[in-house]
Amino acid sequence: MRACADCSLRVEGDWKRCPLCGGDLRGAVVPSPYPAVPLRYSRRRVLRVLVLCSLGVILLSFLAQLLFRRDAEDLGALRSVWLGIATTWLVVLMAVSKRRNLAKFIVYLVAAAAAVSVYWDYLTQWSGWSVTYVVPIVCAASIAGLLITVRVIRMELADYVVYSGLTVLLGLAPIVFLALGWVGTPIPSAICGALSIAVVTLLLALRGGAVRHELATRLHL
Amino acid sequence: MKRRHWVRLDNASNIFPAARSDVDPKVFRLGAELDHLVDPALLQEALEETFERFPLYHAVLRRGVFWYYLQDSDLRPQVVAETEQVCAPIYQPDRRTLLFRVVHHRRRVGLEVFHALSDGTGALWFLTDLLGAYARRRFAGEAPVVEEVHELAPDSFAHYFRRRQPVPASHEEDFTREATPAVLTVEEAAREEGPVGEGRARRPSGRRRRVHRLRGSRTPDHRTRALELSMPAADVLALAKAEGAAPTMYLTALFFEAIRRTDARVHARSTFAASVPVNLRQFFPSTSARNFFATIRVEHTYGRGDDSIGAVARGLQEAFSAEATEEALGRRLRRLIRVERFPPARIVPRPLKDLLLSAINYANNRSLTVAISNLGRVTLPSPAQDHVGRMLFLVSAVRPQFCAITHGGQLTLGFTSPFVETAHVREFARLLSGAGIEVSLAAARSTEEELAGVGA
Repeated sequence: MRACADCSLRVEGDWKRCPLCGGDLRGAVVPSPYPAVPLRYSRRRVLRVLVLCSLGVILLSFLAQLLFRRDAEDLGALRSVWLGIATTWLVVLMAVSKRRNLAKFIVYLVAAAAAVSVYWDYLTQWSGWSVTYVVPIVCAASIAGLLITVRVIRMELADYVVYSGLTVLLGLAPIVFLALGWVGTPIPSAICGALSIAVVTLLLALRGGAVRHELATRLHL
Repeated sequence: MKRRHWVRLDNASNIFPAARSDVDPKVFRLGAELDHLVDPALLQEALEETFERFPLYHAVLRRGVFWYYLQDSDLRPQVVAETEQVCAPIYQPDRRTLLFRVVHHRRRVGLEVFHALSDGTGALWFLTDLLGAYARRRFAGEAPVVEEVHELAPDSFAHYFRRRQPVPASHEEDFTREATPAVLTVEEAAREEGPVGEGRARRPSGRRRRVHRLRGSRTPDHRTRALELSMPAADVLALAKAEGAAPTMYLTALFFEAIRRTDARVHARSTFAASVPVNLRQFFPSTSARNFFATIRVEHTYGRGDDSIGAVARGLQEAFSAEATEEALGRRLRRLIRVERFPPARIVPRPLKDLLLSAINYANNRSLTVAISNLGRVTLPSPAQDHVGRMLFLVSAVRPQFCAITHGGQLTLGFTSPFVETAHVREFARLLSGAGIEVSLAAARSTEEELAGVGA
């Protein structure tokens, strides 16, 4: 084993200089009890900064759109393009940060897409297209998407039951819009509401115990 | 359809996911050095056998609305060759993984555990069983299989109480029992005792002094700086005895002295404080492998009398002994239970709890110079006892600290720190070798200089 005369130490491993004092070592090299683990720059920090900056930019651009309200007519096309870009970026960020939990991602996606479309509708002089078409279609599609996802990637029930429940509840919102008379054409809302009610009934009938168990776990006081 | 068993993380363990950071992933490592190159296939078999006996270790950590909780899982552990740094992060939110790993490198076996799962004593039970199972496979013909001994010197009856457990009826029951927070398992006993010494624990009177803290430059990728000093345990014991102090407090005094000599920011009247965990199973019989310890804070202010290492050690010992009594710890335990049962504390949503707990953790850290942890003398079951040399103990650190463990007559001190500087360890080693103790050093490469050319 090597030895450091300055520290009166024996040093294990293939060190050229004493890890404590930097002095010369003498003696035979023995294998180190620790592997040399190369430096690995963490991408996590870069990613975090990128996500936070992007979210800031998206928020600011949404706010900026509010200021142009009076000139809405002139800005029509430009505004749609810009909102489209910002929304796409928002969806990408959510997809990246929630990539480990697809069921959660779907809930986030539905909530964000619905909120942005309503906002978009509001900015472009409210005509109700968001609540009539976009929100019901997004909700219905997400319920279908969730059912397929769960089948395809064989998620464990506990992992998706709460989030699929939330997705289905979001799908009930268009019925409320319908009742309040906010929608022009009732068909998309009716289809979405019917689908949600069907899925919620099925979920409770077939998996009621699991739903209650999972909720009890998560909400345990 | 499978309904998973789960159990809430108690208040004491909630601090670990909340206080986890890039610098300090709240992971600790227990290891053993064998007298031969590790056989990964046999180690895997031994791990599978041990894993079956520790239902708690099947758990994954999940996040609820109000609490973190441990949930049973079907994941199986895999022995891996060591390719990551010491105490690399284990728990990552949204990623469902086991909360421990078993690594091997050359002659060493390492068990790394996320602290929310278990404490040093609990993990040592696991490692002891693992080494026992491994050695039985490796040296089957060499020694007869004897009744396992799990004895752990400072905690002599922990094993006895664990043994008394009836044979579990099923894995599920076993999981729920083992995963129950240790604090709650002794709650009944605490209640029977009645409200002895109700009220708050005594705080040392007067304003708390500003405690000296170490500063340094962080390692380049925030890895834990790990250095390990091994020496004959008997020599250190003799040295401590000569000064009339217990080894842990003697080493703590030595640590203070090493820092005092090497840190330019120390002034003549600096106060040094150390946190020392005590295993509560010594005082309150519990079979839980979960976290069950309390930390005691000891301090010394220099420049007010005898500052020799022996005198400092004796002073620390006195303060420590006053706190490490069944009565004082019982008071603390009851307070913990009360806080946990306190209704307003329950309804605070978890993210807010995380913030509060990490603030509390930050405040606690400000009043500490170093941390010390001593697992004591370990005895392994035969034939593992004869084929394991040194054992080692390292904890990811937010401040410099050392962890001690003794096996086979060898005392190993695992120094960890978030900083690259090693002056205090150098001084510590020199103080020991100056006293005639033969010290050897093992270090993991951590700085850019040390790693130059590695993995290029």
